[in-house]
Amino acid sequence: MSDNPRSTVRIAGHPIHPMLVPFPIACFVGTLLTDITYAHTARMQWANFSVWLLTAGLVMAALAALAGVVDFLGDRRIRNLRAAWIHGTGNALAVLLSIVNVFVHSRDAYTSVVPTGLVLSAIVVLILLVTGWMGWEMVYRHHVGVAGEDRP
Amino acid sequence: MIRRLTLAAGLVATAALAACGPAPIDAKRQVGPNPFLPELHQYLLPPMHIARVVGWTNGQAPTVAAGLQVQALARGFKNPRSVYVLPNGDVLVAESGGPTPPINRPKEFLMGLFERKSHASEDPGQRIILLRDADGDGAPEVRSVFIDHLNGPFGMALVGNDLYVADTDAVLRFPYTTGATQITTPGVKLTDLPAGTINHHWTKSLTASPDGTKLYAGVGSNSNITENGLDAEKDRAAIWEIDRATGAHRLFATGLRNPNGLTFQPQTNVLWAVINERDELGPDLVPDYMTSVKDGGFYGWPYSYWGRHLDPRVRPQRPDLVARAIVPDYSLSSHVAPLGMVFYTGANLPAAYRGGAFVGEHGSWDRNPWNGYKVVYIPFAGGKPSGPAQDVVTGFIAADGRAHGRPVGLAVDSRGGLLIADDVGGTVWRVTAGP
Repeated sequence: MSDNPRSTVRIAGHPIHPMLVPFPIACFVGTLLTDITYAHTARMQWANFSVWLLTAGLVMAALAALAGVVDFLGDRRIRNLRAAWIHGTGNALAVLLSIVNVFVHSRDAYTSVVPTGLVLSAIVVLILLVTGWMGWEMVYRHHVGVAGEDRP
Repeated sequence: MIRRLTLAAGLVATAALAACGPAPIDAKRQVGPNPFLPELHQYLLPPMHIARVVGWTNGQAPTVAAGLQVQALARGFKNPRSVYVLPNGDVLVAESGGPTPPINRPKEFLMGLFERKSHASEDPGQRIILLRDADGDGAPEVRSVFIDHLNGPFGMALVGNDLYVADTDAVLRFPYTTGATQITTPGVKLTDLPAGTINHHWTKSLTASPDGTKLYAGVGSNSNITENGLDAEKDRAAIWEIDRATGAHRLFATGLRNPNGLTFQPQTNVLWAVINERDELGPDLVPDYMTSVKDGGFYGWPYSYWGRHLDPRVRPQRPDLVARAIVPDYSLSSHVAPLGMVFYTGANLPAAYRGGAFVGEHGSWDRNPWNGYKVVYIPFAGGKPSGPAQDVVTGFIAADGRAHGRPVGLAVDSRGGLLIADDVGGTVWRVTAGP
């Protein structure tokens, strides 16, 4: 039995949270890309892609957050990690900004993206770079949810 | 349960976000030729302030101004949208509805949920009903299905023995003989009209030129403000001039977001229309208006409003068009949704209502408090509006937001009564001089 910090939300020992996080990350990065494309072309198709990506990203982010929060509360060793706090609060901020962003993107035509929507999408991606890094640190450095080998 | 929780959460969020908008001004400040125009405000979420349709119970009726009375000419229609009076006094009522809009964005799905309650629950008839009140007692003796199996019929115009019906996708010609109560001959298509899968503004208003050689059709935009792409707006937001002999058309005037109530002013023979302007720039932008329509005129949409006020939501911009955007003649105030207009040419109503125009205001969905939901009268002198609009028929909406009905198309009948198509109320109202 390993002595690593344990994930509470897991199936057959596999933590769920890391399976879910790629979805919102890919969606929010995709939003930035389609926003940039819309800003260059003013073709509404790209703005429509953005708002669907944002919506899907928020739905998946809610599921990922649920698993993540339970894991966070489920093991004191996780709560003791500085990386976990940065990861959690950063992602909470990213989700809040994305909620505002989905409303901005629900405006009609150009100002649904330029400038406010585009700026929010970019800030969210920057936040995800930091919180993603912290997430990897939790797993690869602190072995959160890792089976087998004990942490050093 | 989850659905109810989601809805409740949505409502709370809606209320919180909608509270962020600017406070509405007194709508009267925007009635007339020089409306006050506030700074534009782009919402995070527009206030979805939608009336809940309850219909009329027996004996209930709208309220009319002093000196007038109102009665239901007939009830029990399936979404009556417009009325037209034939030379023999028969009244045509178009029961009409538009397409179910496609869902291109999450927004359209959510707005569809909200707006459902503001429309009639029954499917529209998609047909024209004939009413005949030969003895003039206000109760028609004949009620027949005049033309069946139409597609969003709205505009009607008789020229000689040719009855033109503007479906949402075409102008059709039917042979009419005086006294007919039914036409079963299929309509002949004079011209297609822009429709398609989105067909955002679907009502096609129709009138004939005084000499009968041309038809004029109002073709509304395919979006609020180009959010469905500029390609979707081809030949829209315009008044078409259609040659009656050949069916060929040209754009008579453009930049008119959703023109309805097309009517030639009887003294000057100038074409007038009422226009639904754009949404989501604040509770008091942009004012809907009535205007004379100039040949070749450009009235702003989508690039600018009320003349040269730029709309930041449109790309690419067109400064060349904005530079020649015409300022409309008369503002009706914001979001009242005028869908019907008629110049009063009868002799029944008191002198105060002669010579000017009645306008049917379907009512707002994105303004708190509500605006519209009434029929107003605008006096005219010398072919131009000459004074403030007066409320003539009100009481379509109660103070608590229950809507009994919503006025749409108007007409003057052969005895000088003012007819009002009330779509969600399923009724045609008749206003006459009081006892």
